[in-house]
Amino acid sequence: MVLTDIKAGGKAKITNTEHVNVLVRRRLLDLGIMEGTEVSIKRILPFGGPFAVEAGGQWVGIRRSEAKLIQVSHP
Amino acid sequence: MIEIALAGNPNTGKTSLFNILTNSYEYVGNWSGVTVEKKVGMLNNKKGHLIDLPGIYSLNPLSRDEGVATRFLIEENFSMVLNIVDASQLERNLYLTIQLLEYGKPVVIGLNMVDVAKGRGIMVNEKKLSEKLQSPVLPIVARTGSGCKELAGLLTNEEQKNKPLYISYGQPLEQAMETLAAKMHGVENLPPKRWLALQFFEGNEVVHGLLKTMIPEAELQRIFTETEALVQSKEGAKSLSYHIRAIRAQYIKGVLDVSLQKGEEVTYTLTDRIDNIVTNKFLGIPIFILFMYLIFKLTFDWLGSPISDMLDAFLTGPLTDGLTSMLQAAGASAFIKAVILDGIVAGVGGVLVFVPQIMILFFLISFIEDSGYMARIAMVMDKTLESIGLNGKAFIPMIIGFGCNVPGIMAARTIEQPKERLLTIILTPLMSCSARLSVYSLFVGAFFTQNQALVVLSLYLLGIVIALTLAKIFSSTILKEESSMFVIELPPYRIPQWRTLMRNTWEKGKGFIKKAGTFIFGGSVIIWFLSYAGPGGLGVDMNKSFLALIGGVLAPLFEPIGFGSWQAGAALITGFLAKEVVVSTMNIIYVAPDLHTLQGIMANHFTSLSAYSFMAFLLLYVPCLATVAVIKKETGSAKWTWFSIIYALLIAYIVSLIIYQGGKLLGF
Repeated sequence: MVLTDIKAGGKAKITNTEHVNVLVRRRLLDLGIMEGTEVSIKRILPFGGPFAVEAGGQWVGIRRSEAKLIQVSHP
Repeated sequence: MIEIALAGNPNTGKTSLFNILTNSYEYVGNWSGVTVEKKVGMLNNKKGHLIDLPGIYSLNPLSRDEGVATRFLIEENFSMVLNIVDASQLERNLYLTIQLLEYGKPVVIGLNMVDVAKGRGIMVNEKKLSEKLQSPVLPIVARTGSGCKELAGLLTNEEQKNKPLYISYGQPLEQAMETLAAKMHGVENLPPKRWLALQFFEGNEVVHGLLKTMIPEAELQRIFTETEALVQSKEGAKSLSYHIRAIRAQYIKGVLDVSLQKGEEVTYTLTDRIDNIVTNKFLGIPIFILFMYLIFKLTFDWLGSPISDMLDAFLTGPLTDGLTSMLQAAGASAFIKAVILDGIVAGVGGVLVFVPQIMILFFLISFIEDSGYMARIAMVMDKTLESIGLNGKAFIPMIIGFGCNVPGIMAARTIEQPKERLLTIILTPLMSCSARLSVYSLFVGAFFTQNQALVVLSLYLLGIVIALTLAKIFSSTILKEESSMFVIELPPYRIPQWRTLMRNTWEKGKGFIKKAGTFIFGGSVIIWFLSYAGPGGLGVDMNKSFLALIGGVLAPLFEPIGFGSWQAGAALITGFLAKEVVVSTMNIIYVAPDLHTLQGIMANHFTSLSAYSFMAFLLLYVPCLATVAVIKKETGSAKWTWFSIIYALLIAYIVSLIIYQGGKLLGF
């Protein structure tokens, strides 16, 4: 399952970020989002727009194409 | 005088704290080598300097600019670090703190946003935290200034001595760090060697660069690969940087276990509620446009124009009368009187009149920046911008560019991808800055009295639309991007603080006033002189002056786009110095004592259509001198600097041609 399978308001636990672009992964790491982190989907912008996810009170916007590469499991 | 570095994650309230602890900037400049703003302030008790480092998550830099902080630690002499951390995001913030503590200089920790943390059910025991980190920790609320006095007291306490924080990274890595440290010699004033070794193994490029001056690159590579293989096999880690991060995370968890209490988490915060509206599926973009419209309404109709009118009345009334009688009393010659009244007062005064409007615009932009809405705009716009080869972050420089293109172009440095950054830099000048605003104000006041805000808004939109179109063209031809990236932190909404807003507004706006006092002052005198002198001598009819001759050369070129007069040509040439000089020039060449007379005179030289064409041309035709200089500095390329001038001229001509000729066909 990947992050984009989760609906707005839903939660998921990240299991793998290896396929994500190196720079994006590094920045997510800086913001405290990595394997094992539990995230909730806050907003999904229309027309294939970005995802706003929250982890530990921190909100981060990422592109849908990137979110598609983040593997998750049910928390 | 002691030097204290202020370090912290982005969006932790660093700027607020800086403003509270210092009263004035000692110095604002650039870090050597990169064009990242370096701000140094004098502490309120005058005992030390506070140096504002760029906001960073880690000392291991991702972009060139983030390297500034690491470079500072390596190269500069300082006695203490003030680390500001966000109490509501402690786990992530401590990651940087750990690296600072490992460095070994005394660290004072300002635990900010304790109020926000409390609201989210997080209680931090600062005594336990301080014990664990062996450094003073003080809870503060930088926005209100609570606790900041006590914090300031700690900064100039020179008693504090620290030894580097020691975390064990496991036998293989510790061994490798020792081996590497033993090879570091030959450079004076080296930072702690263990810290350098650790940063090197974490992949810090800046430290890597420093080590290369002491140890051959091949050997560094060999040590790195061997150590990584060893750590992978013995510790089962994915890579060295993962291993280091995991150990630190573990350490941080140990610290937080004793110093942090989590209560009930409030899930539905104010930020959620606001975001539900402003990033709404359907309403997101319309709300943004509505915001921009309100900003223009405030700047012109509701607030700015009345104040500007009052200032104009003062300048042309009491001030001019006073000056006239003073000159009369002093027995000044007709020449001197003309220089001062027709040159300086008309030129500089004509521009100063717009200071209130410009300050209001800067104020509102600062408000958006500080409120947290800017990051949302970037997210709302990302999809649109992605489709034209940019990312959402490119919108931030563009909005700041509405105030002034120079800081806008500088703001492009938050964009990680070099090509997206370059593209943003060369397109930001199309954003209509506040200097151009003064020209629009002049024209809309004369030709579009009924729809001032709407006409100006249309020009801003024209700039945006052209920028986006060109982005698409450039990104699919000369600036093809391999991979684009977009990750943006969405800070919680905050009501911006009055103190910070006023300071930001003043910092941005004072440049405009300074320009009026120097550049425009000098320019006005020269322009006036060129209009006063001609081949026939001094005091000639203005139509036979040098200025008319120069402007006349260009006039035929401008004929097809609606303003083939020497006056328009001359004004546009001077507009390259700074766009608002166009207003000064027009004041001088139309010999107008005040704004309303000038607008009346202009009605004889322009029609509504040619006025609109002129404004569009002025918007696009060429970045001003200061902007060209900053483009050169930021891109480091003469080629791209020339490119940004030439494409703008071409586009301006084409657009104005379409407006004027198209408008005529439609019967305007």
